[in-house]
Amino acid sequence: MNTLTVPGLLAVQVVGALALTPILIGVMRQTRARLEGRAGGGVTQPWRDVRKLLAKEPLQAAGTGPMLSATPLLLITSSLVVCALVPLVGTASLATVPDDLFVVVSVLLLGTVALALLGLESGTAFGGMGSSRHMTIAALVEPTVLVAVYALSIPVGTSALSAIVAARVQDPASVVSPVGLLAVVALGIAVLAETGRLPVDNPSTHLELTMVHEAMVLESSGRDLAWLEVGSWLRLTALLGLLVNLAIPWGVATTLSLSAVLLGVAAIVVKLLVAGMLVAAGEVFLAKLRLFRVPELLAGSFVLAFLAVTASFLIGGAP
Amino acid sequence: MSDALFSQLLATTTGLLLVTAVVQVWRYSLSASIRVLAVQGAALGALVAVLGIERGDAEVLVVAVLVLAMKAVAIPWALSRTATATGAVREQAPLVNPTAALLAATALTVLAYVAGLPIVAVLEGPAASAVPVGLALVLIGFLVLLTRRSALAQLIGFVVLDNGIATTAFLTSGGVPFVVELGVTLDVLLVVLILRVLTSRLQSAHGGIDLDELTELRD
Amino acid sequence: MTALIWIPLLLPVIVGGASWWRRADGWTRGADLAVAVVALGVGIALLTAVHATGPITAATGALRADALSAWLLLTIGTVAVTALWGGLPTRAARTAPDGRYTALICLFLAAMSLAVLSDNLGILWVAIEATTIATAFLVGHHQSPRSLEAAWKYVVLGSVGVAIAFLGIVLLYASTVAAGTPTLSWVQLAEGGLSLDPDLTRIAVALAVLGFATKAGLAPMHSWLPDAHSQAPAPVSGLMSGVLLSVALYAILRIQAIGDATLGPQFLRGLLLAGGLLSLAVAAAMILAQRDYKRMLAYSSIEHMGIMALGVAIGGPLATAAVLLHMLGHGLVKAAMFVVAGRILAAGGTTRTADVTGLLTRRPDLARALLAGTAALLGFPPFVLFFTEVAIVVAGWQAGLGWAMGIALFLLLVVFAGLARHVSAMTLGPPVTVDPPVAAAPGQDHGAHPLPVDSHTAPLPTPWREPATEPAAKHRQAPVLIALAAAAILGLMASPLAAQLREAAAVLAGAR
Repeated sequence: MNTLTVPGLLAVQVVGALALTPILIGVMRQTRARLEGRAGGGVTQPWRDVRKLLAKEPLQAAGTGPMLSATPLLLITSSLVVCALVPLVGTASLATVPDDLFVVVSVLLLGTVALALLGLESGTAFGGMGSSRHMTIAALVEPTVLVAVYALSIPVGTSALSAIVAARVQDPASVVSPVGLLAVVALGIAVLAETGRLPVDNPSTHLELTMVHEAMVLESSGRDLAWLEVGSWLRLTALLGLLVNLAIPWGVATTLSLSAVLLGVAAIVVKLLVAGMLVAAGEVFLAKLRLFRVPELLAGSFVLAFLAVTASFLIGGAP
Repeated sequence: MSDALFSQLLATTTGLLLVTAVVQVWRYSLSASIRVLAVQGAALGALVAVLGIERGDAEVLVVAVLVLAMKAVAIPWALSRTATATGAVREQAPLVNPTAALLAATALTVLAYVAGLPIVAVLEGPAASAVPVGLALVLIGFLVLLTRRSALAQLIGFVVLDNGIATTAFLTSGGVPFVVELGVTLDVLLVVLILRVLTSRLQSAHGGIDLDELTELRD
Repeated sequence: MTALIWIPLLLPVIVGGASWWRRADGWTRGADLAVAVVALGVGIALLTAVHATGPITAATGALRADALSAWLLLTIGTVAVTALWGGLPTRAARTAPDGRYTALICLFLAAMSLAVLSDNLGILWVAIEATTIATAFLVGHHQSPRSLEAAWKYVVLGSVGVAIAFLGIVLLYASTVAAGTPTLSWVQLAEGGLSLDPDLTRIAVALAVLGFATKAGLAPMHSWLPDAHSQAPAPVSGLMSGVLLSVALYAILRIQAIGDATLGPQFLRGLLLAGGLLSLAVAAAMILAQRDYKRMLAYSSIEHMGIMALGVAIGGPLATAAVLLHMLGHGLVKAAMFVVAGRILAAGGTTRTADVTGLLTRRPDLARALLAGTAALLGFPPFVLFFTEVAIVVAGWQAGLGWAMGIALFLLLVVFAGLARHVSAMTLGPPVTVDPPVAAAPGQDHGAHPLPVDSHTAPLPTPWREPATEPAAKHRQAPVLIALAAAAILGLMASPLAAQLREAAAVLAGAR
């Protein structure tokens, strides 16, 4: 059989994402380690960590509620759904579950809110602090993501992500147009903020007062922590994958033939690994922003996205 | 030059002008602002050059070189000299926090688009449809002028304002007569030099008082 | 004939350049006055020439002298002569010649002449910006922190305002390009035959008027005016208040003619009415509570610019002629008043109204001039300002703007109360002696312009210097007396100038 069905393509995306994610995180950590002059734990260390955690029993403090065990499942489920919907390998989509921008953002938000509630669940100060910071950043990032992808969707006429990527594959001029560049830059900043990378949040910090994401998972352990970690990594994979496919759309499978899908898989693997290495390399040179400077950064990215929208009206002529 | 290439280059240069204006509102460190101003001047020079090539008019190309020399080189250089002379390179928080200022810049861009509609309707051609970018630059320059504390930063706002007017001028009519353009560009340079002279006199005669600390004149 | 146009442009540049180069020579002291006299002569000559033969052009039409330009040139010359003659130092107070100061004044005069003599709107704009640049250094001449602060505020606000005006001119040019006849010539634009797009022209004209209104000191864009005019040396203040504001108003008049030709006369009326009434209100409020007499004079300038703006808003031959005559009259009186203010400052060492008392006893020559000048500024007959203000009010009533004239008259009454109170406190009554004089900061006399530096290290008020200084010699009082006399006579016997005035007003009604 030379063509896949659409559910088959989505399954390929999900399985591929699950397999690739620990490698991606490992590559990022290794890049950072090498640039900082350390030996690093190796590319497979995240996978080893997850395996270790999966074998352990989760401990729950007294007085905690059901969210402590429900959140990890919610998070990983939402992340897997996002991986299925976002056009990572191919641009086909199910008719019943559209990969519309708003659907994807809503699912992401589900995971965000679940994580925030988790941080509040244990009743510690650090958890609450992490949750409030997390929600502040999320509140500022959501409009940027929406407006940036909307700017890219104007010439296409639909907000379905796969349609946007497919249109960009066919029209190389739109990739280098000012609208495209502005929107991609804005989306990049938003993705860095949403996935908890520098300069918004340091993923490898040990200082609780500087934590955003880590503070929320401070009280989780064992299997729960494994799901939480994998869920967060999957979000990074999905969002980074969306970003690179919007920025450099070539290689994405526009048809469902086997060869196209294999090419698509290979392309996304390469693109994600390179993008991950660039992000990690950039992190070596960036310092974490003070928390009250973060809204400035995010407002700036929002304005860039907004300018992308207005530019597409001003310069291209209203569609 | 083909129409598509012209539109593309026009879009790139005007887009760069708008982005640099927004970054001016965003970053309030003086050295960063001066660098961004130089980039904006270069974008303006490129825009004029594109218009000149499209029209096939040598005079406009000469004006492009003039604009480049003045706005991308001379004025930022004079500004940075003043900054180092007064030691004013450290950041001074603006009167309005950058987040609010950025949102205001967004609103001003929309306002410029709305205000530019009658202009775009009258003039035809791809160049005219980018006129709102010039108006947005004018409004954003005003915003920077009004929300900064230090004289140098206010002057940067003024130069952004002037860049916006120059952009509008070139996009609407291919520029005003050469003599006028020369006068206008020299005028901006002279205003920058005046600041230099005034601050240096203040420094030498009265020992390091900053122009921004003077608020004695009031009723 | 065309030489007449070139003289007021080239002569100041040449003299100014020579003064800069030979800045330590003695002749630079009087060089600016000589240039002003020549400008006055050329103004009179041009007025008669244009009356006889019609508008004169030069430089392939870029420069053009019609009756309005000639009238403005006459005003510039008159005010410049008054201010610079009155600003000459006494032999005793002379310091080293400062050729740079002379050069800047010459450049200032050349720029103003270029502004009134140019037909091309772009060159008009460049000339007005050049006046800002020249006066920036003149305002900051004393190099005290206050004058430098005033100079900087003046440059920034003036340049921003004029930049807005340039945007307006750019859009006007764009509308002519869209109509197929790219031009910046006022004659062609004011004829009205270019079929310009009304929307675009509306925006352009509004922006241009807004920008030039900043330079004319109309509220709410007036905040630079009190600082700049009070910190500058007295002759410079006289020049700026007396004529630079009028040149900016002249630019508004020219733009209004273009607007009227394309859009009809109602468009700018509301804008200028609002500006005029607001200026009057601001001036009235600030004069009441004023503590510094130079700032008081500056606010009086804002008041008179408000009156003139009302005249411009009303339009029509009576109001326009009144505005033009008001420009000349106000220029004369204001220049004389600033000269007097400068001498009061030199004699007393303080600009605070409260510290100047009993002027009539101490320095009767200054007090008499001050009283006469204040009467002129308040619009008392027989001074010309009375007649022009009455004419503007009558024209306003005829045009159906009675309500605005009523408000204006009320505000003028408030200004009367304020000015009269301050000036009578300064002149009438016995002289009050304060504590022994605090020595003014030594060795800080800059240039040949006798004003002690505002000492920023001594915030306490400096009292009147004792013993009383000698009244000025007759020849020193001459410029002030002649200026005030001229202002008095002008109203009563305007007939030598009536025809020219009518012609100048008619220029704006239909391009000639």
